[in-house]
Amino acid sequence: MGSEMDPLLLAWSYFRRRKFQLCADLCTQMLEKSPYDQAAWILKARALTEMVYIDEIDVDQEGIAEMILDENAIAQVPRPGTSLKLPGTNQTGGPSPAVRPITQAGRPITGFLRPSTQSGRPGTMEQAIRTPRTAYTARPITSSSGRFVRLGTASMLTSPDGPFINLSRLNLTKYAQKPKLAKALFEYIFHHENDVKTALDLAALSTEHSQYKDWWWKVQIGKCYYRLGMYREAEKQFKSALKQQEMVDTFLYLAKVYISLDQPVTALNLFKQGLDKFPGEVALLCGIARIYEEMNNISSATEYYKEVLKQDNTHVEAIACIGSNHFYSDQPEVALRFYRRLLQMGVYNCQLFNNLGLCCFYAQQYDMTLTSFERALSLAENEEEIADVWYNLGHVAVGIGDTNLAHQCFRLALVNNNNHAEAYNNLAVLEMRKGHVEQARALLQTASSLAPHMYEPHFNFATVSDKMGDLQRSYIAAQKSEAAFPDHVDTQHLIKQLKQHFAML
Amino acid sequence: MAEMKSMFREVLPKQGQLSVEDITTMVLCKPKLLPLKSLTLEKLEKMQQAAQDTIRQQEMAEKEQPQISH
Repeated sequence: MGSEMDPLLLAWSYFRRRKFQLCADLCTQMLEKSPYDQAAWILKARALTEMVYIDEIDVDQEGIAEMILDENAIAQVPRPGTSLKLPGTNQTGGPSPAVRPITQAGRPITGFLRPSTQSGRPGTMEQAIRTPRTAYTARPITSSSGRFVRLGTASMLTSPDGPFINLSRLNLTKYAQKPKLAKALFEYIFHHENDVKTALDLAALSTEHSQYKDWWWKVQIGKCYYRLGMYREAEKQFKSALKQQEMVDTFLYLAKVYISLDQPVTALNLFKQGLDKFPGEVALLCGIARIYEEMNNISSATEYYKEVLKQDNTHVEAIACIGSNHFYSDQPEVALRFYRRLLQMGVYNCQLFNNLGLCCFYAQQYDMTLTSFERALSLAENEEEIADVWYNLGHVAVGIGDTNLAHQCFRLALVNNNNHAEAYNNLAVLEMRKGHVEQARALLQTASSLAPHMYEPHFNFATVSDKMGDLQRSYIAAQKSEAAFPDHVDTQHLIKQLKQHFAML
Repeated sequence: MAEMKSMFREVLPKQGQLSVEDITTMVLCKPKLLPLKSLTLEKLEKMQQAAQDTIRQQEMAEKEQPQISH
């Protein structure tokens, strides 16, 4: 009885249950029987789209070319506090690099990783090429389209008899006249095929057909322009769409455009406008918090993250960011509560257990520390994660005074990730305690070449060289350290001492 | 006991200079909390991994085919 279910209904049911592969396969069978079945065709397109669908708001991949040759910023020399490129000016009393590690771009590390948090434009070409893998929040080198192109090729390979829809043979004008088909087709072209130009053509024809009255098409055109890097055109489309119909999504897209144009203040104002229309909207509040965080204004960011939690107390990003902020402002026991909350909510991965282990240790709950780290190691998915866990375990070992264990931990971190600059630096400190000066110097040099943005290796190298009487090298390293962290008292002290030495000569 | 007390008496200088030697110590890099990944990022990474796997498989298959035909 039940075996003879209508295939289209079954396919629909698969689609609703998010079994997209099954749905697409069934649709393929139906299309083989009757190639002009529009319902099956559209359902297959939607299933294929859903398989690779990524929320466009979250996608922000900048390649090396975009980063270095970016001329979209309005002001090339912006005033402090108005740009995302100059995070160094830390007027708002955020944590200093002496307490909170920084990323390559000079920002304090964040509690949450999104595709677009991997931001931070490197200052020079050299920096852009070299460092990305060391700081975990740094951007990968791949070109912006690279990831999408690769995904596209893979999807082509998986279907042996060519792509499902041959884009070059589509008569776009015909489809533009059928709004319902056109919307699904657009999403398929945009998300599955990643053919932004064709998608833009279709969207342009469709918006014409709807006599410029459909805000949805305007948003889609804006998305295409954004992907093509035409930010001003995208801005126009989004603004026009907002006039017709105010949607949270559109606010978010428009803010993304402003962030790409390096105008965080405009984006903030836009979010606040959006909040007038949609009071308490989590996505908008979260957007404000992210911008403040990127501008290194941690206290305001935390305020907004707390606001987010008032609306939605299961917001992982807000909990993680507040938690890490507490940890680095010397309140590990408070941070522990936030991370425990995440655990209760069902987040179960390597990062969380690592953070729990660290919080437990520094909040003096020693019984949980090692078990947490063990769990973190068993849940790690790649070698970089394992390296980071071993690195943190090394800190625990240093904390309990077991230098041998610490030594082994940092070694293991390096075995798993040969570019772990922090581990090199800490290993050097341990070697120095044992009196192995030459080894320490070599390790410090490796660390400073791997991560020129960190002040620790430079400073340590300066100290060691100073002790050995190599004043010239010590001075050079001390200056690098000062550039990385201008307010470091010990560095200033060392430089002063060295200058006195040189003056005496 | 009384003798012992007279032997060890604490020294509290009330005059003269107090000198403190300030030794610069090396600094350790700080412990690193790992950032949690957003769902989008996880999905992207998963998709990329899958894509690379399929491409690798395809390449392997292509390599094997000429050997079979020989």
